[in-house]
This record gives sequence, C-alpha cells and structure tokens, in this order.
Amino acid sequence: MTSSLRTLRRELSLSSSLFDRHICFNCLQVLSRPQQARNASTATVSAESVAPSSTNTPHRTAPSTATVSNPYHIKAGIVLSRPPLITRDLTSFEKAFFFYQRRLNERLALSFPRYFYYPEGTPGDTEWKRKMRERNTPAKDIGDYNAHKKDSWNDEILVGSKDSDPEQHVENLLQDAVIEIEEQIEGQDEVVKRRIEVERPQPRVTEADQTGDVTSLTRSLQRTIYLIVQDKDGIWRFPETDLEERENLKRAAERLLVQAGGINMNTWIVGNTPVGFHTLKYEESSSKPGEELLGEKTFFMKGRIMAGRFVLKNSPMALKAFKWLAKEELEQELDPLYFKSIRHMLVAQ
Amino acid sequence: MIFNKLPFRAHSSIINRTSSSRTCIKPTFIRHVSSDIASTTPNTSTSTSELLELELDDSEFTSSTTPTAEMIQSYDPVGQSAARKKQLPSSRYRFRAPRYYRGPLHPHQPPHPSNPTARNYIPGPFSSPRLLQTYDSTLSHDLMILYYQHTPFNTPRPPIKERLRSWDDSSPYHKNRPLRAPRGTVKLGLLDKKITFRNIPQLSAITVSIVIPEASSDSRFLHTAGMMVQAITTQRATIYKARRTVSAGNRSQFSQRRGKPISVGTTMTGEQMWHFLSTFVGVVLPRIKDWQGVLARSGDVNGNYTIGVHRDVVELWPEIAVNYDA
Repeated sequence: MTSSLRTLRRELSLSSSLFDRHICFNCLQVLSRPQQARNASTATVSAESVAPSSTNTPHRTAPSTATVSNPYHIKAGIVLSRPPLITRDLTSFEKAFFFYQRRLNERLALSFPRYFYYPEGTPGDTEWKRKMRERNTPAKDIGDYNAHKKDSWNDEILVGSKDSDPEQHVENLLQDAVIEIEEQIEGQDEVVKRRIEVERPQPRVTEADQTGDVTSLTRSLQRTIYLIVQDKDGIWRFPETDLEERENLKRAAERLLVQAGGINMNTWIVGNTPVGFHTLKYEESSSKPGEELLGEKTFFMKGRIMAGRFVLKNSPMALKAFKWLAKEELEQELDPLYFKSIRHMLVAQ
Repeated sequence: MIFNKLPFRAHSSIINRTSSSRTCIKPTFIRHVSSDIASTTPNTSTSTSELLELELDDSEFTSSTTPTAEMIQSYDPVGQSAARKKQLPSSRYRFRAPRYYRGPLHPHQPPHPSNPTARNYIPGPFSSPRLLQTYDSTLSHDLMILYYQHTPFNTPRPPIKERLRSWDDSSPYHKNRPLRAPRGTVKLGLLDKKITFRNIPQLSAITVSIVIPEASSDSRFLHTAGMMVQAITTQRATIYKARRTVSAGNRSQFSQRRGKPISVGTTMTGEQMWHFLSTFVGVVLPRIKDWQGVLARSGDVNGNYTIGVHRDVVELWPEIAVNYDA
C-alpha cells in the first residue's frame, strides 16, 4: 500500500461518513475494508469470501456455501506473452518512403571519399573497384542509381522493381560480402581464384509457421503471441485460478504458471498490479439475501516468457490443450464477450 | 502558376476551396511502386476502410487502377526529356527556396524543412530501427505497468513538500533573504511526475564526446578524434573549449587552459540514436575482453546515464575497425 493511500484511509476513518465524499464504489470498498498487511496489488479475499477449491471451473451457478461481503468471487489470471523476436515487415508505403529518402540522401550527401579509405594500389582498393563494377554506387540499398550524373533527376523507382525490398538489400549485402582470393599453389604456375561466401541469415518464417504449429514458441516471430489454454469444459481462455488464503495476485499468478505449465519455464511477472479484469456473471445467484454471489472477477497479471516451454503433461489443473496466438488469432478463438474485456491488454504488434 | 506567388497559407486554402483545381491535380497515370497497396489489399478489410476514411482526397494510394504493361513499356522519362526540342521554362522544373525568412506576411515563404526543396532539408528517416520497434511493442508497455501507482478516484493530490527552506523570521535580517537549500543534500532533485500512458520514459538523446587533453598543444589529436566521432555517429563533431584554466602541477595531462579546445562530441536523436545504441550494445560491448558490465550506480536519478569506455574500446566499433583491418 502506498503511503498516500494509508493517509487517505486514516483521514476517511476520522471523518463522519464515507459516503458524502465522491469516491467510486470500488475504491470505497477498498478503503472501508479493515486494514491488513497487503500491497496495492493484492486483491486478497478475506477468508470467508474464498470459494471452495472444487469450483475452479467457470460455473454458471453460484457455489451455495459461500458467505461473502464481496458479491464477486475473485480469481487470478495470467496473460503470458512472448514479445516479437525480429523486426516486423515494412508496409509498402514505408518501403517506398524509405527508398525515396535514401535516393534523395544520395543526391545531397557528399560522394564517398574512396582515396581516403582505400589508397591506390592496396588490396582494399582492388576489392573496391571489383565491387563498384558490380553495383554502380557505394550504397547497397538504393538500386542501380548514380546520383552524380546529368540525368540523376530520374530517381523514381519503376513498377515491378525490387530495389526497395529489404529482402533484396539482404541479397545485395550477401553478394557484397563475398571475397575473391587469388591463390598460387606451390609447385604450379597457375593462379587459382577462390570465392569465400558468408553464411546466409536465418529465415524470417520458421518451420512452425509453415506447418501451422500453434503450440510452438518459435511461431510468428514478428508478433507478440499469447498463451491460452482449454479447460476440461472445452472453453479457451487465459490460464486462471482461485486465490488461496492470504495470497496476492502476483503470488497466485506465479503458482498458476507452475501448476499449469510445469517448472521448465523462465518467466517474469511484470509489476505487482493487474493489467485488466474480466467479469463473469452467474446466471443464478445464491438465494440468501445480502450474501449473494453475483459472479466472478478474474484479474489478469502480465507475464513474459523468456525461455523454456509450456508443457501440459502432469498438470494438476486438468487442462486439455494450449495455444500460442497473436491478437487477431485470439479474436477468432475466444468468446466475443471475453475478448471484449481483454482486448485492451493485448499489443497490436 | 499564380499560386506560387501567394503565401503558403493562402495558397493551401485556395486549393482546398476550389474543387476544380483538385481534379486537375489528380494524377492521370499511376506508376509508383507504392501504388500496389491499393491493388494488393482487399477493400473489404477494416484496415483498408480506415485508411480510406483517413484519405481526404483521391490519391495514388486509394486509386485502384494499376498501369498496364504497355504503359510500363512506354514510360521513359529520360528519353522523353532528351527528345524535347525546346527546353522547358525554368519555372516548370526549378524552384529555389528563399534564402532568408522575411516574416509571416512576406509573399515568398520558405518551404517546410521536411520539403526536399527547402534549404534546411535533411533527408530521412531511412529505416525503422530495431530497438525502437522493441520499445514500441514491448518495453513501453512493461514500463507503464511497472510505473503504475493506484490512487483511488478523486483522491486529493498530496501537497508538494517545501523544497527550499524558508527563514523563520526570528531576526529582522531574515527579510528578503533567498530561501535556503534543502537540509543534508546540496542538490535539489527533480519533482516526481506521475507516469501515465502519455509520458512513459523513453530514450531521447545520446551524446558522445571524447576528451583530449593533448589537443591544446597539438591540433592533430583533435582532428583524429573528430573523425572517430564522425565515423561512429555519422554526424559532424563539435569542438568544445575549456571553460576554465586548471593547473595540475606535475600531472600535465590534466592541465587545461581556458578557451583552448579540450574535447569533441556530438548529440544524436531519432533514428541515428537507435542505430548507434544497437551497435554499442550488440557489437561493441560484447567484444570487450573480460567485460565487467556497466555500472549500476552511474548516472543520476533523473533519467541521465553515463558510460565511459577506454580508448581501446573505440577501436571495436565496426566503422573504426574496418580501417585497421585494411
């Protein structure tokens, strides 16, 4: 709890009535609750509000045993994500714009001082001349364009040209990195030319993308992918659990990860505060007047997976399956109402 | 064209009002590479419809016509200009931005700096930096959560504590005295600002500078250091002069004289800053032998961080190392 909150609570307890102040319902509940050793993040439930542990599936009917002051049953969920591992593909506008700016720069910048970097007659100079014969300009990403000629004004890229494509630039760099060596083998007169090529970069599309393996963490490298699980009723959603006694949301999220996916994961729970919540209203609420349970609220903590794998084997949570999906794929998979309450926690990219 | 003689604001407002001029500006022949946006993306998707809403007029990006093979074949701007018998009037191809800004009412206004015809135009950006993408997609979101502090709605803002101490007026001499410095510390720290989604901390600039004590006696050191800074930052280095004279007795390497050049450096922002950082973190630091890591206690608490590297480390920059290899 922050010191300001503590001060405020003391101030409010001294004042005659809580209700003549303009405070929202939720905050009022927090402030009027008896003080416990608790962080701001901990939506701990008092002992009587904890539902029996057998009801860890989303039941549509309220558990009858619950006697609560809070009309909602509180749960902890986790939004476990893997951030993008590579840069995203550029849009066609970005490609065109960057290319335009690069050719403009070539026209405005001073030309490359070759004699400064490669003195005449050195091996570097020979190599430079060979490369210049292949591509007419020092820059490797502006296509075949010389900015210092009479018709250099003709710098527009034509339809069908690959010059603005980053893939083409990679090809150009690979081509440029090739070294040609002339070797003379001992005892023979002839000179042997040898080309040394560099290793190609790894592909941006992985095997998991090609096979459509949604359980792999190496899929959709350009996107943030989120973990969803299928419970024994066949409902897809983020992993969630009931809070144990005197447990805060962060602790519950950490425990949930281990119970659901095993210990072979290196994860990090970002911050102590939940990033969002989802309210599930029960169709039938318990009958006792004043003590009825209207539904359940799941507070989501944000988690990052750094290394390791999520495995369902030996999981005590009775989960059926899991998937790693990007935002649009989640929209297809999840219940529309559920997605509506969680969508703002998800990153667009 | 008469529009060119009007101030920029008047010119644009006329163009917006007269719809006939809009149609004559519309291109008749689409041949840009970027025009394939319209042809490749399906019109039914929401993103395209949002784009279409954003577009005020018909533009090359919204038009669905693609050039035919004949049009592509026959397009030859260089041949066309060579075949022209008379030279075009210079007003058709030459625009010179005014050398001086003569006030907002002058009819000849300089173009915006992002306009390639402007005199102060600097090309760029040329790429979408990797670290900036990481910041946008990952880091900024996490930072916002980490900085989040919950305050219940309508909580009165806590009063700012007295920063500079006032005098207790026990003596008549306290009148009009300036306020006292805070107790204990000499420096007055910055006020804390509440972090929201609008002001998530972000890298704003990187300054690189090299101090060269020998530069006061021999200017060749200065030129070499300037070239090094220019090579690793792609920006022209500024020479900084000593503000005061320091005599260090026997240790002559620490002595400096006021007004003499003492260091060179430059400040990067934007795209170049991100590229520099990714080279430094991804290439240079891993190449250092027996590297101990950066100092956690370096910098101040106000968001500035300083790292110093030995002169041998500068040679590890790829732009510098290439000169040693050759």
